[in-house]
Parts: sequence; C-alpha cells; structure tokens
Amino acid sequence: MARASHPLTQSVQRSASHAVNGVAADQQAALLLGGYHSSPIGDALVAAALDSIADARSADARSADARSADSQAASDEVSADDQAGRLFRRLLASDRTGRLILGLSLPLIVLLAWQLSSSFGWLPDQILPAPALVWQTLQERIADGSLWGDTSISLLRVLRGFALGAAAGLVLGGTMAASRRLHDYLNPLFLAVSQVPTLGWVPLLILLIGIDEGLKNTLVALSVFIPVTLGTYQGIRDVPHAYREVGAVFTFSSTQMLRTIVLPAAVPAIFTGLREGLSNGWQTLVAVELLASTEGLGYQMAYGRQLFQLELVIAGMLVIGLIGFAFDFLLGRIENHLQRWKVAA
Amino acid sequence: MSAQAATSRGIRLWRAVALPLVLLAAWEASSHSGLVDPHLLPPLEDVVARAWNEGRNGDLLTALSASLGRDLAGFVLGAAAGTAAGLLLGFSRFAENLLGPTLRVHRQIALFAWVPLIAVWFGAGEPGKIAFIALAAFQPGLINIWRGVQEIPQRYRELAAVLTFGRLDFLRFVAIPAMLPAIFTGLKAALIYAWQATIGAELFMTIAPGIGGVMMQGRQLFQMDLVLLTILLLGLVGAGFNTLAGLSETLLLRRRLS
Amino acid sequence: MTDLHLANHLHAIDIASLATEEPTAAPGNTVLSLSQVSKTFHVAGRAVEALSDISLDIAEGEFVSIVGASGCGKSTLLRLILGLDRAYQGSILLDGKPIRKPGLDRGIVFQEHRLLPWLSVEANVAVALRRSKFSPRQKRDTVRSHLELVGLEKFAEAYPAQLSGGMQQRVAIARALVNRPPFLLLDEPLGALDALTRLRLQDELKRIVRHEGITAVLVTHDVDEAVYLGDRIVIMQPHPGRIAGILPVGLPANRNRSDAAFLRLRDHVLGQLGVGHEPAAAIRAAE
Repeated sequence: MARASHPLTQSVQRSASHAVNGVAADQQAALLLGGYHSSPIGDALVAAALDSIADARSADARSADARSADSQAASDEVSADDQAGRLFRRLLASDRTGRLILGLSLPLIVLLAWQLSSSFGWLPDQILPAPALVWQTLQERIADGSLWGDTSISLLRVLRGFALGAAAGLVLGGTMAASRRLHDYLNPLFLAVSQVPTLGWVPLLILLIGIDEGLKNTLVALSVFIPVTLGTYQGIRDVPHAYREVGAVFTFSSTQMLRTIVLPAAVPAIFTGLREGLSNGWQTLVAVELLASTEGLGYQMAYGRQLFQLELVIAGMLVIGLIGFAFDFLLGRIENHLQRWKVAA
Repeated sequence: MSAQAATSRGIRLWRAVALPLVLLAAWEASSHSGLVDPHLLPPLEDVVARAWNEGRNGDLLTALSASLGRDLAGFVLGAAAGTAAGLLLGFSRFAENLLGPTLRVHRQIALFAWVPLIAVWFGAGEPGKIAFIALAAFQPGLINIWRGVQEIPQRYRELAAVLTFGRLDFLRFVAIPAMLPAIFTGLKAALIYAWQATIGAELFMTIAPGIGGVMMQGRQLFQMDLVLLTILLLGLVGAGFNTLAGLSETLLLRRRLS
Repeated sequence: MTDLHLANHLHAIDIASLATEEPTAAPGNTVLSLSQVSKTFHVAGRAVEALSDISLDIAEGEFVSIVGASGCGKSTLLRLILGLDRAYQGSILLDGKPIRKPGLDRGIVFQEHRLLPWLSVEANVAVALRRSKFSPRQKRDTVRSHLELVGLEKFAEAYPAQLSGGMQQRVAIARALVNRPPFLLLDEPLGALDALTRLRLQDELKRIVRHEGITAVLVTHDVDEAVYLGDRIVIMQPHPGRIAGILPVGLPANRNRSDAAFLRLRDHVLGQLGVGHEPAAAIRAAE
C-alpha cells in the first residue's frame, strides 16, 4: 500500500474534494468581505456554506467509497496486519463509515468520562450530576408536560419577537434602499442603535416597561430587527445594475420592476438577514429568560442553578441545543428551496 | 453627474444630523415641559452633568476599563483558541472528522445557555466572566478561519505543490496571505460577540466592577441619567470597535493584490 | 507607415468605386437617424469625449455593423439609441420622433446574456411580454414559437444556470425578438462565446433577421463578423469616439468567408483600424 504522500499533495487532493459547489457567490463574498456594520451576517452564512460543502463532500465521499471498494476487490489476500492497517487508513481517509466513527468518538469519550466522574465521585453532584440523573430529569419533565409547556412558552416568545422585528426590519431596510433621502435621515440613528449590545438595553427597558412579556418581545424584536434591516437594505441595493437595465429595456413599471427583478434578486440576502435575525432572537430570548423571567426554558435553567440542581440546567441546555438545530435545519431547507435555481455547474 | 456628487457631501451631512438633532430637541422640550416624569426622562443637562461628575470621580471610567479589560482577555483567549481550532480543522482531515461534528453541535447551543453552568463551575467572578467571553469569541473565530482554509484557491495550492513548498513555506507564502480576509472577518465577528458577552456576563455575574454592574446599579436605584449615560458609553465603545476593525482591515489588506 | 497609408488610400478608392451613392446616406427608407451626436463623460475630474459628432442614417430592413476597438464609443452609442442614457448632444430620431426612453420597438441582445437566473427559460422569454397586451394564451404561443426559432423549445423548463453559454445567448436572442420589434440592437452579442458557437450563431442571427425583416444594428470588435452580417460597415475610432468611415458591403446575401471579395473587404476594414497586412499585398495574393 502506498505510504502517505507529501502533506502538501494531500491538501491539494483534499481541496479538490472541497468543491465549492452550490455555495452562492454572494455568500462567499459576504464571508470574505466581512460582516455588515456591527452585525456579522457571516455566522448564518457560514453555517449554510459549511452545510453545502458537507453535502458536496458526502457526494465526493460516496465516490471515494466506490473507488476504495474497487481497490479492495482487486486485492483479495489480506493478513491481520493489513486489516488493522486498512481500518486505520479508513479512519484517516474520507471513507463514510470512518468519518462517522471518528465523529462520534469524541462525544462518546466525553460521555464516558462524565459517567466515570459521577460513578467515582470525582466531582460533587452539585457541580456535575450523573448522566443518568439528567436523563431521568428529562423523562420526568416530558412525562408531566412541563418540558413542553416551557418550550412552547419560549418558542412563542421567539416567534412573536421575530415576527415583530422581521416586519419592522423589512420595512426599514426596504425604505432605506428605495429612498436615498430617507436612508440619509434614518441611517445614523439606526447605526447608533445597532452599536449598543442588545443586552445593554435591559436595564433601561426594565425601568421603562418592567419585566413582563413586553420586555422579552421588545428585546427579541430588537435583536431580530437589526440584521433583517441590514440584509434587506444590502439585498435590494446590491441588485445588479445589469438586471435593472433589462427591466428598463422592457419598459417595466416600478411595480413590475420590484416584483420581477428587484425582489427575486434580493431574496438571498434578505433571507440571510432573516436567518441571522432568528438566530439572534433565539439567543436573546435565552438570555432574557435567564435574567428576568418566571417561566420558560431559560427560567428553568436559572431556577436549577439557584437550587444547585444542575441536572435541570444541563437538560435545559440539551433542549435549547435541539431547538437551535431545528431552526437552523428548517431555515436551511427553506433557503435551498428558494434558491433552487442556483444549480451547481 | 458632478452636480449629483455635490448634492452628496454637504446635503447628506445635514440630513445625517437632522433627525438626531430633532430628537434631542424633543427630549429637552418634553423633559422641561413637565409632561414626562423627570425620573423617566431626565433633562439633557442632567445627563451631561452626571457625565461630568462621573468623569471627575472616575468611578465610571474604572468600571469601563474593568469591562474592557476582561473583554480583551476573553477575546484574546477565545479568538486564539478559535483560530487554532479553525486552522487545525481546515488542514487536518482527521481533526475535522474527529472534532467537526462535536463543534457543530456546540454551535447550536445558544451562548447564554452556558451562563448557569459556567457560573457554577468557574464562579461568578473574573474567571467565570472571562471563560464566558472566551466561549463567545471562540465559535466566530473557528468558523471563519475554518472556512478561510477551505477557500484557499485550488490554483494556489497547486502552485505550491509544483514549487515543492514545504509545509512552513506553504503557510507563510500561500495559506496565510490567502486567508487574510477570512481571518479579519473572524476576528471582527469574535470582537463583536465578545463585547456582547461581556455586557451579558456582567449583568448576570455582578461581582466585581464593570459597566454591566453600573447599569444594574442604576436600574436598582432608578437613576435614569446613569443608565442613559452607560448606554451612550456602550454605543461609543461599539462604534469604536467597528471603526478600529474597519481601519485595520483597510490598512492591512490594502497591500494585497487579488 | 506612409507606404501603408498610401496603399490603404489607393485601396479605399478601389473599394469606394463599388458604391453607387454616398455611404452615409441610408439605402432606402430612413428609419433611424443620428445627427451630430456627441457625449462626454466625466471620469475622475477629467472630461472624456466618448462620442464626437456622430451622424448616421439607417434604412428600414438594413443590417448595419459597427466595428471598432474598445473605447471607441460603439456600446455607448447603442445605449443612446436604446434610450437608457439621455444625456447627449445632437439628435437621435426614430421614425422621425426623438428617442426619450426605452421602448418595446427596440430589442437588445447584450453581451452578457442577462437572463434572470431565478426564472426558467420560458419565463425569461415571457418576461419581455409583461407590458404587451396579448392574452396569456397568445403570450404562451409566441414564447414557444420564438424558442423554436432559436432551437431551444426542449429546454423551456430549464434554468439559465443549467445551459451552456451559447444556449443562454440564444435564449437572450429569443427574448429580444419575442416582441417582434422592428429594431434589433446587438451589443457584441457573441463576444463571450467560443469560436465555433460564434460562427454557428452568426448564421442563426442572419437567418432570423432576414426572415423577420428586422432592421439591425450590430456592434462588434470582430471584423469578420461585421463583414459577414452587415449590409454596411461603420468603422469607429476612439479618442474621441467618431466615425472613421462607412463602407457598403457589396456582397451577396449568402456569403463565403473565404471568398476573395470578402477577404479583401475584411482586410480593408482591418487596415482602417490600423491592424493587419498591407492591403496591397493582400490584393496581389488573392488574384
């Protein structure tokens, strides 16, 4: 079997399989040119881009699978040594099973260490409760419906705040993009507001509107509002002049121009803004619920912390992680659907 | 065309300050008119006077520098770790397969969900705050650097191979220069997230001085002028960061030839 | 250099003797009339004269090729005729009326196809009919027939990203024609394509334009293309952009690119543009 080749050649081979298919040009541009103003749209973009690269690479891995299957069939005589060597190479290579094993190994090791720690009592239960306890807590909470109750409360808050913030962001972003004059008037104020970290508004807002639903709605909406405005503004401004001229040449009215050319061209950037908005909104909600709430997932975690019942905290984190994943996944799907015309070459 | 350009600078400057000026005027008018509770909206001069006092006795500035200090510490820690991880995952397929999925999952957990855990593990003092800030700076650094490595154009890699570059040369002459934009994006994002986390951490873990602590204090004592002042400061710091990032990016990337 | 100029001059007299009338005048009924058109751009504080005193009459059903190197203003001229740009001196009259804005009477094929990437091929062509008063059924039919015209009826549902460069440009041509415009403006339409596709599409264009009886103005830097397609050739020079000469193409409708007369005219045009062999030598070789 061939020895590992020069590391440089390896990286060349690997990058060949990193075909950046399907990653939209605007995504790449946004990544390389940096985020917008104070709000890095890059995060959501990168997540999307990494996902599409993973897809491209899994396709590549499948063909690598086929190739390695061929070479295996060609050499039937194997010794025990060879088998061990092949297993090792499988782990290192882009083989699908190998990747799965590797990927799972770290979480499994962590889980093992965790279990050992609580079995041997290396850390007190208040610092690190046993995995079994966390699992039990989850089951209890599912069984008595409190998990669903908290989750739905948190989700509703996010969705409400998102709807509010996204609507406001679309309106402001669209307005500023449409009218240079309005942009000049409104942008400085917008910029000023966006420089302040979202949580920085908490003390002020608590003084003004207290700590009930209004606080959460406002904060979530604010954190959604900023990236959506930016995404909408950039998206509409960046519609290539070439396309606008096509509309002019066919004597489109303003409405037709908007519907047929401007909006479809702006959708990718607008959607990216929405994605980041949702991600921000979710983050903000968790923070606010931890800080000033009497119910919801965040509250449960704060409660658990106060009582030193970390199993509640960890259970909460797992659920939050799952929700984050679900949001990401769903929006990724919608984005792919909206952009199915961006067919890979 | 040039007429339009002239419209630009003068008029646009005027437009930029118009709305803020109007708002400030409205603020002044309403706080003096007696229509609004002075506790909720103190007059402008009160805020200015407060600013002056705080500037004199230095409390606010101490708090601010404490905040900035731990922001910096956490940022450096987190961004460095993120960069290192990004390079590792970008260049080593083995590391990518091993660590990638775990880091992806880690990214899904909302940052602030870590606060209770970190508060218990590291305490609510400096270590806890800095750990949290570092955590916040980690993911943006990681993602952007990782992406930066993957985006090194194939043709540069091939060139390096053809010139039989060793690993170090490859890094120095090809990889790092090609990745500079991504590195900047990552650092900028990490800076922003770190600052957000700093404020958040200080709201939750209020031991030791910090801007967040001052804000909470202002809220508790219902000192609106202090709260407004701190918001202004936060905005200025944020703007400062952005300007700094923008300037350094322009400066350092100007010499790059695509 | 003087030798070359002399040879050029003699050759120009030779060619000019083929013309039976003054080249600037349109052979036939004038439909597009440019009169002393000038345009100046201001770039970085300096004034750049993109077009200087352009006068040209174009007849109905004529195919005019405008040829010249980059920067001679030919694309700018096309944009003025199109109505995308209204800042110029002089007058441009279409059927006797000044051009104020774009209109469906003037179709354009851009160099970059400018197909809307989020619409299918069929939808892209249909987009041109947004403003027309046809019924949906009529629109569908005419879109189909124009796709057939360019040979792409089977790709109606495809997206632009799935097509090759030549196919994309053919869709752009169908889109430009679907309104049956009396004028077709072509701005280096085949420049981004490979040589073989270019030759094939030149034949397509010729066939379609003749079939529909369209008045066409083609801007190109490819002299062979200009001679192959045009009834008249307008030679432009840059700095400032001006017409250096207008030549009638006295060749039959079906042209052979290797024909002596073709080559002679082509070399002459090249010579006018300051490129190529001495025309005198070329004549001797061809005879």
